[in-house]
Amino acid sequence: MAEVRIENLRKSFGAVEVLKDIDLTVEDGSFVVLVGPSGCGKSTLLRSIAGLEPVSGGTITIGGRKVNDLPPAQREIAMVFQSYALYPHMDVAANMGFGLRFARTPKAEIEARVAEAARILQLEPLLKRRPRELSGGQRQRVAIGRAIVRKPQVFLFDEPLSNLDAALRINTRVEIAKLHKLLAATIVYVTHDQVEAMTLADKIVVMNQGRIEQQGKPLDLYYRPANLFVAGFIGSPAMNFIAGQVTQGGIDLGPDGAVTLAGLTAAAVGSRVTLGIRPEHVRIADGEGGLRLSATVELVERLGEAGYVHLRLPSGTVAVAEIRGETSLRTGDRTSLALDPTHLHLFGPDGRRMV
Amino acid sequence: MPQGTFLRLLVFFLGPALLVYSVFSIYPLLATILNSLYSHQRDGSYLWNGLGNFQTLLFDPTWSVPFWNALKNNFIFFLIHMCVQNPVGLLLAALLSLPRLRFRATYRTLIFMPTMLSVVVIGFAWQLILSPLWGIAKMFLQTFGLGFLFAPWLGLESSALITVSLISVWQFVGIPMILIYTALLAIPDELVDAATVDGLNQFQAFVWVKLPLIWPTIGLVSILTFVNNFNAFDLVYAMKGALAGPNFATDIMGTLFYRTFFGNQLQLGDPSMGSAVATMMLLIILIGVMAYLFLVQRRIQRYSF
Amino acid sequence: MRRHASAIAVHAILGLYTLLALFPIVLVVMNSFKAKRAIFNTPLRPPLPMNFDPVGYTKVFGDSSLPLYYLNSITVTVGTIFLTLLFGAMAAWALTEYKFRWNTLLALYLSVGIMVPIRLGSVAIIQLVAELNLINTLTALVLVYTAQNLPLAIFILSEFIAQIPRDLREAARCDGLSEYNIFFHIILPLIRPAMATVAVFTMIPVWNDLWFPLLLAPAGGKQTITLGVQQFLGQYITDWNAVLAALSTAIVPVLLLYVIFSRQLIRGLTSGAVK
Ligand SMILES: Nc1ncnc2c1ncn2[C@@H]1O[C@H](COP(=O)(O)OP(=O)(O)OP(=O)(O)O)[C@@H](O)[C@H]1O
Ligand SMILES: [Mg+2]
Repeated sequence: MAEVRIENLRKSFGAVEVLKDIDLTVEDGSFVVLVGPSGCGKSTLLRSIAGLEPVSGGTITIGGRKVNDLPPAQREIAMVFQSYALYPHMDVAANMGFGLRFARTPKAEIEARVAEAARILQLEPLLKRRPRELSGGQRQRVAIGRAIVRKPQVFLFDEPLSNLDAALRINTRVEIAKLHKLLAATIVYVTHDQVEAMTLADKIVVMNQGRIEQQGKPLDLYYRPANLFVAGFIGSPAMNFIAGQVTQGGIDLGPDGAVTLAGLTAAAVGSRVTLGIRPEHVRIADGEGGLRLSATVELVERLGEAGYVHLRLPSGTVAVAEIRGETSLRTGDRTSLALDPTHLHLFGPDGRRMV
Repeated sequence: MPQGTFLRLLVFFLGPALLVYSVFSIYPLLATILNSLYSHQRDGSYLWNGLGNFQTLLFDPTWSVPFWNALKNNFIFFLIHMCVQNPVGLLLAALLSLPRLRFRATYRTLIFMPTMLSVVVIGFAWQLILSPLWGIAKMFLQTFGLGFLFAPWLGLESSALITVSLISVWQFVGIPMILIYTALLAIPDELVDAATVDGLNQFQAFVWVKLPLIWPTIGLVSILTFVNNFNAFDLVYAMKGALAGPNFATDIMGTLFYRTFFGNQLQLGDPSMGSAVATMMLLIILIGVMAYLFLVQRRIQRYSF
Repeated sequence: MRRHASAIAVHAILGLYTLLALFPIVLVVMNSFKAKRAIFNTPLRPPLPMNFDPVGYTKVFGDSSLPLYYLNSITVTVGTIFLTLLFGAMAAWALTEYKFRWNTLLALYLSVGIMVPIRLGSVAIIQLVAELNLINTLTALVLVYTAQNLPLAIFILSEFIAQIPRDLREAARCDGLSEYNIFFHIILPLIRPAMATVAVFTMIPVWNDLWFPLLLAPAGGKQTITLGVQQFLGQYITDWNAVLAALSTAIVPVLLLYVIFSRQLIRGLTSGAVK
């Protein structure tokens, strides 16, 4: 396995710059997940690593070897595509061995590797079937099998689970995690799914408009988002944001009230900030207190044991609070919120995290 | 819905189409087949003749010699289309569908242009270009030092049919090109990407991944070519007239049919024999289509992406 | 570097083929504006003031029937497209929407017309047209072409109609629209793109056809432009100015239309309909 090192990577389609100065290291054997809104350049980054898109600048190194000018087949990567991209006219075994055939691998070796991959992925009974005779989950496994037989240094996945139904997604997600352990593989993985990202990743890379907003361990991103974008993107339901202004010893939230907060520098006084807090750190609590805001209940969503209450603050801002167990709240009730002071996030006027 | 209302609906919606189609397409085809079983008398009446007309057409030398000649020519005409038009169409489509090709739309539009024009116009334009009188073709060859190759190709018995066929190929190459191009576009990009990751270059990806996936379209193109070729008439008529000269060297089924039915300087028109020729054409086309449907199409796997 | 070289090779092949495709057309149009001497001596030179001579066009338009032939062609083509689309859409609607006993059989009956060229029935068509007293009329051409184009039109339109969500028709029925109103006010507007495709498929062969004009309307000022040009060429065969001008008058309008509509046309050809 190998490390992938990306330095100052740029990519333009004509006049449009899609990747801007990307720096990223994927450690040997680690699982890196790329997330970000649609169109932010995740697939383009992945395809640049694969060599399917020529880059406009910067370098890509795989296992210490600069691969910028190498064709995909010589980069020792394997890619699993969103639509699986299985060759419809070949059976499962031929699909998996196709690349090896073109690498002039001896027949016996091809068969051995295909058999090995089929064993790992439990595809043995399906080897003679054509892709259209397979279910979605089986196709998915064949696509992964095709990657495995290449014995690549790096696996690249582009939203591999997005065409599967919910139950199968969870299963396959677990399979991929096991596979990662089993093969000790270096993996770069693109997804839209928060849960996939949080559960699979050693490192999450959040992208936005062709830039990396933040990279780090899943929980680091969750608990210490570097900026407003990451704070809003990671976590579901999304973090609540309330606009305010720094005062001596706290933050003035305008019509919504004020909160006391220690550790603010005097220099910050007067600057416009955004207060962020995740729904699970908001409690519904009547009464008064330091970190309390009054609100009106707009909607109560019950998902079983847990649930969400959507609330409207006096300024019109909507906030969501997580609740557990029974509740007597009804739409239109007036109540107040208690914010957990240890989990408050504060973002400066430039959107960056403060203290 | 009450039965009567439903019937009235069906008659309203289906009636016009079925009427026009039955009267001007199906009835004439059936009547032609029936006609071919009668013989046309000098006085304009018709006599039952069974398969007599076909016997005459196939075995009486005055009829069979032109018939077999036209049939043979038509096969050559078809083979040239299969061997030149369709491969060239495939090549052009393959190039046009390459990723990141610049001026794609321009090439496509311009190459398809001749297909839009009337065969009469095309035929005549080529006749002028190849004519020794104007000498364009000769001049052209001379610039490459190949002037000695020039001959009045259209006028020579040995080369007229090939020349006419190639002109037809030149005009209609746009059709296989567009059909195959469409089929190639329908192949998902990811499949070609997968082939690239598997180590295939553009050419190999075409041969090993794309080509197997477009066999159904190539089959369709072939059968379309067959039906159109055995039904062709306009180009030969426009370039060489109904007599399909020189010495019937360019005579194909369509021109034979026209001559037989309408007559010409050499013979009187004969509706019954004309019908017999048309019925033979119908038979040939049906045999071709059936052979395709039952022998070829069944073996071609269709893929949806 | 290799990427560069192969790109050049691709453009070389496509460029050469494009030249081959255009050369005869450009040659004819170019020389049609030149004096006879220039046509023969310097055929590859574009028309310049020094060798310009519109004598061919004078002759072509002096033969005052050509504008009439254009009008005939337009009438026949438009008439055919109109009838094909109207009858075709109606039949396609009935075949996809209403389930009745002969449904499949009718579809099979129609598919005969896709496989078998209607030309083969010409003998009987002439006799029929003669009996209906329609020889040398445009009506005969329109009817025959409509019959020829209906089957494919019905198939393409059926596929399209089948894709219209059921709910839409059910909703209309719940609103109390009659079947006729559903068809004319809901279905027809929805299948416009498919109708454009069918129109393109219909238009080109009809405009360019030589066979049926030759058989059914060869005289009496009812010739189409294709036949008219063919007859004109036959008459003036040795007059190169006239011949080239006649060819150009036949080429240029079609090409102009083509260039204007080529996007729609190729889109039509490349839409699912032809697969
Ligand atoms: N071949 C191309 N030509 C021009 N622009 C392109 C091309 N491919 C992608 N783009 C543009 O580059 C940007 C990034 O695309 P990319 O496919 O990488 O997004 P993504 O993050 O994978 O989005 P999604 O989550 O929707 O898959 C988009 O704005 C897209 O429009
Ligand atoms: Mg993507």
